[in-house]
Amino acid sequence: MELFIRYIGENWADLLVLTYQHIVMVLLGLALALAAGVPLGIAASRHRTLGKVILTVANIIQVFPSLALLVLLMIVFGLGSTTVVIGLFLYSLLPVIRNTYVGLTQVSPTLLEAGRGVGMSPMQILINVQLPLALPFILTGIRVAAVIAIGVATIAPLVGGSGLGREIYAGINMDNPARLYAGAIPAALLALLADLALGRLHRTVKFGK
Amino acid sequence: MRHQVKYFMLALAAFAMAALLSGCSQGNTIRIGTQTFSEPKILAQMYRLLIEDRTDLKVEVMPDLATSSVVLDAIKNNDIQMGTLYTGIIFDNYFPFEMTKDRGQVLKQAQAGFDQYYGLKWYDPYGFENTYAFTVRKELAEQEHLQKISDVRPKAASMRLGVDTSWLEREGDGYPAFQKTYGITFGKTYPMEVALVYNAVASQKMDIVLAYSTDARLKEYGLVTLEDDQHFFPPYDASPVIGKQVLSEHPELNEIIGLLVGKIDAETMIALNYEVDVNKRNEKKVAEEYLRKIGLLK
Repeated sequence: MELFIRYIGENWADLLVLTYQHIVMVLLGLALALAAGVPLGIAASRHRTLGKVILTVANIIQVFPSLALLVLLMIVFGLGSTTVVIGLFLYSLLPVIRNTYVGLTQVSPTLLEAGRGVGMSPMQILINVQLPLALPFILTGIRVAAVIAIGVATIAPLVGGSGLGREIYAGINMDNPARLYAGAIPAALLALLADLALGRLHRTVKFGK
Repeated sequence: MRHQVKYFMLALAAFAMAALLSGCSQGNTIRIGTQTFSEPKILAQMYRLLIEDRTDLKVEVMPDLATSSVVLDAIKNNDIQMGTLYTGIIFDNYFPFEMTKDRGQVLKQAQAGFDQYYGLKWYDPYGFENTYAFTVRKELAEQEHLQKISDVRPKAASMRLGVDTSWLEREGDGYPAFQKTYGITFGKTYPMEVALVYNAVASQKMDIVLAYSTDARLKEYGLVTLEDDQHFFPPYDASPVIGKQVLSEHPELNEIIGLLVGKIDAETMIALNYEVDVNKRNEKKVAEEYLRKIGLLK
């Protein structure tokens, strides 16, 4: 415990940098997953067969062990944070696609009918009726994806990435529990914070202020 | 309520753009790779500080690459550009070599061979050797009269051996060759992170371990190393290495790398390892303190 406090005291600046790098990797992965996942989710809700294909592929990616996926990506993209971001992107894809898909398909047919009744085009229905109603679901997807991504990002050092995992692996490899905690505790806090913040956002969106 | 979500999305997008842009602007970065233990990590931090102090280059240390051969492959692929390697590695069959245990000969072969087959410049040694050392607890050494490796032979079948993650499979200087030379086969072998072997033998979870000779925990735990009486292990002088391509792009690095060549003896290295492994400090701080102490950093 004393070692841990001394270690934090001497290295807090480096730890902040690692935390920042961790957050950057996760946010990049999430942003990419949103950019690709929401359109894919929309596509999946419109065409039954295409939807099956998209969801199956996303499922297959998800069941790949994270370490194996990252190492496979490393063979293609080399050592470094790029590989990690692509891995996090792939991992965040399924929660985003699936929740977008579920959110869009749960919209009551009567509402769609009403939209058509007032003369809205299919695009207008999607933007003004379906997507707003699906938003709470999509946010749930982001929440799940964020928590998973923060966890997966801790194995980044194995493929040359940075972030809090650096301290965790240094702690394991150099038999130094102080460093292990210095990496693991902030990572756990990040995941909790992300879950809390996105949970709050979700409630605001769902029930209004 | 909706605009909260909009702000969240906008912030996320802006952040992503900013991060991407900052990621693209680092063309002049030198990456130094290290193995998993403290010694190469400390040396990498020293070079990071020296290079960033004396040039406009940015240096990124990439720690915890599994083994020396991973470091080598990464330099060959230009994923990293620099590292610390040990001359005895040539016996792991990277290129044809001549069998010798002479320090100068081994160094010469490493320098010529890795230049030719890997495009590496292998500098002269820092000034210390980090070899493998069979290690036991003091009590066991006294009780069983163990002084050299051959003394272990009668007891070996009932002993548990703890080793690093690569030695059991290494070719020229690994376990199979060791068995042939000494005629010793241990009862059970346990590969593990090398940092763990010291505690493992001190706490009697292992009977004998294969330690790294510059590790400060040998002294800290009061362990005894056994003499290599058959001269099985080749020399392992530590040298800085760099990809020749980077060196031709940034010739100023040559002088900076030279600053530590011949300047760190075994005693100094053990003291630095002590700070990291026993006092559990971060290698960045230890490296910086040392460079200030010897006046290479102001």
